[in-house]
Amino acid sequence: MTTMPRLITPERQQRSDPAAGWVGIAGGVVLAASAFLPWAYAFQALDGMSLFGYPSPLQILGMVLGLLVAGLIICSRRIKPRAKIRVGWVRGAKAAGTGALVFLILVTVAIALELGGLVNVVWGGWIALLGAVIAFVGTRLMVADPTPTLERATLPAWLEILAIAVVMAAVLFASAYVLNLDDGGAFVAFLAFLITVVAVMLRTGAMGWLSAVSRRHRQVLILSAFVVAFLFPFTQGGSDANMSIATQILIFAATAMGLNIVVGLAGLLDLGYIAFLGAGAFTAAVLSKSAFSTVNFHPPFLVTALISGLVAATLGLIIGSPTLRVSGDYLAIVTLGFGEIFRLTMGNLDGENGPNITRGPNGIPAIPNLEAGGFDFGKPHTILGFDLGRFANYYFLLLIFLAFVILVFTRLNNSRIGRGWVAIREDEKAAEAMGVNTFGLKLFAFASGAFLAGLAGSIKAHVDVSITPDQFIFLESAFLLAAIVLGGMGTVLGVLVGATLLKLLPEKLRFISEYRLLAFGLLLILMMRFRPEGLIPSQRRQLEFHEENEELAERIEEEVEDTGALKGAAL
Amino acid sequence: MELFFQQVVNGLSLGALYGLIAVGYTVVYGIIQLINFAHGEIFMIGAFGALTAWLLIPGDSLSLWMLPVMLLAGMAAAVGTSLLTERFAYRPLRNAPRLAPLITAIGVSVVLQEFIRLFFGRIPGFPDAKSAIVFPQIDYVTGLAIQLGPITVQRAALFTIIALVICWGFLNVFVNRTQVGRAMQATSQDPDTARLMGINVDRIIMVAFALGAALAAVAGLCWGLRYTNVEFRMGFVAGLKAFTAAVLGGIGNINGAVVGGLVLGVIEVMATTYIPGQFGGSAWKDVWAFVILILVLVFRPQGLLGARVVDRA
Repeated sequence: MTTMPRLITPERQQRSDPAAGWVGIAGGVVLAASAFLPWAYAFQALDGMSLFGYPSPLQILGMVLGLLVAGLIICSRRIKPRAKIRVGWVRGAKAAGTGALVFLILVTVAIALELGGLVNVVWGGWIALLGAVIAFVGTRLMVADPTPTLERATLPAWLEILAIAVVMAAVLFASAYVLNLDDGGAFVAFLAFLITVVAVMLRTGAMGWLSAVSRRHRQVLILSAFVVAFLFPFTQGGSDANMSIATQILIFAATAMGLNIVVGLAGLLDLGYIAFLGAGAFTAAVLSKSAFSTVNFHPPFLVTALISGLVAATLGLIIGSPTLRVSGDYLAIVTLGFGEIFRLTMGNLDGENGPNITRGPNGIPAIPNLEAGGFDFGKPHTILGFDLGRFANYYFLLLIFLAFVILVFTRLNNSRIGRGWVAIREDEKAAEAMGVNTFGLKLFAFASGAFLAGLAGSIKAHVDVSITPDQFIFLESAFLLAAIVLGGMGTVLGVLVGATLLKLLPEKLRFISEYRLLAFGLLLILMMRFRPEGLIPSQRRQLEFHEENEELAERIEEEVEDTGALKGAAL
Repeated sequence: MELFFQQVVNGLSLGALYGLIAVGYTVVYGIIQLINFAHGEIFMIGAFGALTAWLLIPGDSLSLWMLPVMLLAGMAAAVGTSLLTERFAYRPLRNAPRLAPLITAIGVSVVLQEFIRLFFGRIPGFPDAKSAIVFPQIDYVTGLAIQLGPITVQRAALFTIIALVICWGFLNVFVNRTQVGRAMQATSQDPDTARLMGINVDRIIMVAFALGAALAAVAGLCWGLRYTNVEFRMGFVAGLKAFTAAVLGGIGNINGAVVGGLVLGVIEVMATTYIPGQFGGSAWKDVWAFVILILVLVFRPQGLLGARVVDRA
């Protein structure tokens, strides 16, 4: 926004404000009404928007956005502002207007792409787009209200807990819905809708209120998040297609969370982290009862998992103890080199170029499913009338594992160790001068991160059935790093969001699969250029990248005084 | 003993390639402390630029006249790409925390690889770049190997070594004798003071990127002649090893980069030949190269000839 020529000046907004409100409402109403009109020429486009009078789900979303714009503007005019608790009605309306325009543009483009040409967008679609443009222009010309202070509002405890439950239910519903969208265009449009809703909540202050509420009811929030994640497989009706994606997301997220300890907390750039996942996976594969296993020792899985973690941690110690003494940039390259050494070595241990341990490039296939107390992870089960397939079983296991990793992460983060890491990350020399055992702490970060990756790898071996060296190329390390950078370094929520986006988008956007890596590279460059702190940054991290932002600095200062410690980094 | 000398020659010609690429890492790191992760891809672009020139000129000529044309085209492509990345990806991050430009560099590397893979073959008459492309084998610089007594030298290998010697000479004259070269040295020693002395630091940084890219393009051409094909992936491992060479010689030290490249090449070839048993052989050569990287960083992080980087972290 800052680079745009100032088309809309504060003075102009002052003059146009009374009329602009009506324009915005009119735009919103037009958009909402147009949902009943046909948008596309043929039924095949997106989710069937060619009918008169029967809005499709996406059209209903458009209607919601239109009503949101109109409703927020009306609220801003009708509800008297209170001195202490301010709501950012107009700010929210502006966000909704922009979001509605983006949403409609995406829908229009998607119709044109899927049916071949803009002629397939019929009159209802153009009216909807027109409504969105009017709503956008109207809201832009309004005067924004002062910064919302909704977070100061308090409700009875049961109402607040209910609010958390409602939000969590919405998350569950949205994620189940989004995973069942097979149409790439519809998926993108739905994503735009979700982002708009989040933006509106941020701008009105509702998000601030929610985060204040969740700080007050921390346990409730964590429990309900876990319950929602736990309920997710039951929404899939026994289908394993989405559960397979979900397990991949969980493995990826758990690994990224381990890397987050190393990169996000301790600030050590590790470009070969995938090697630790690989070490765990290969250890578990070799120790499994696979017919292709090369050793004659098959302990139960819990033992195997522990050994996998320890093998990875030992590798971490071996590679870390000499190299953590060198400067940060060198560490990046050493770990990159180590990742390559690992991959090449696994490819060479085939009995010809070295001892036969991993069967070389063929890897170890046919890894059997886990079995725990008569519960076979490979077989579908029926619980309370719901069918749960193979991937759903692993999903539950991985969920517990992810919860464990998150627990380790937050406990470490809020401990003396975590504060030591942050000190090292900010200024190693100063930390050392203050008596922080920099080398020991760095080594510990490295080894604990590797241990968690090793554990994740041991589960991955059983989920993926077959483990080969080429699953652990450098690009995978880059993906893990990108998940952290995208979401926000050093935060739990950010990494979860980043990991989900990075795994989910390629699955759902198959029509750009050829350009997947190109988009990934561009994403890295653009993120670093425009939002280096990530989508959901910890506030401290945000300040690092925007040192000139005094308002943010003051807010963090206030928070430190409020809570006695900085909680911004944890969730 | 014949085998030994044969391997020394092989190692030197391999090392000459590493050395040519390593200079790019070293000059950029020496000035802005950025590991230009995408430099391996600049080398790859240089090779593809040379190939493009050959493909565009009709007649499939293999005469020696093509060589300077291809070299210039490769240099133009590499230098152009390098300057573009510097201007639009790295420069905006000049004052960001050090993690940011490194991640950007990874992004640039992925983008350049994918760009060649996806779009090179789209040009009418060009071969698909999704697999390796045969590189034109120019007369005189390729072909029948030369016998020096008992030692066999591939013509392309000899060409590479000669190219390195010429470039090295040019580099030393440029850095030590010209005004721009001296400004570059001054900037790498202390950018703030250099700026006070009236040096346009932004321009010097561009010169550093361009210089590295030009030498990488030479390496790209040599690679194509020597290994007879080029691929969009070739920059990754070559770049990593060249960085190893730069560290081995002492990062920031231009002569060190060349020496480091030669030493690394010889060690790699020797390890392949002389390590007995299962852990020898070409399957492990990359492993040994990276092991050397780690060992150097641990035991002699300043490199063989001494690093010339002021620690400003």
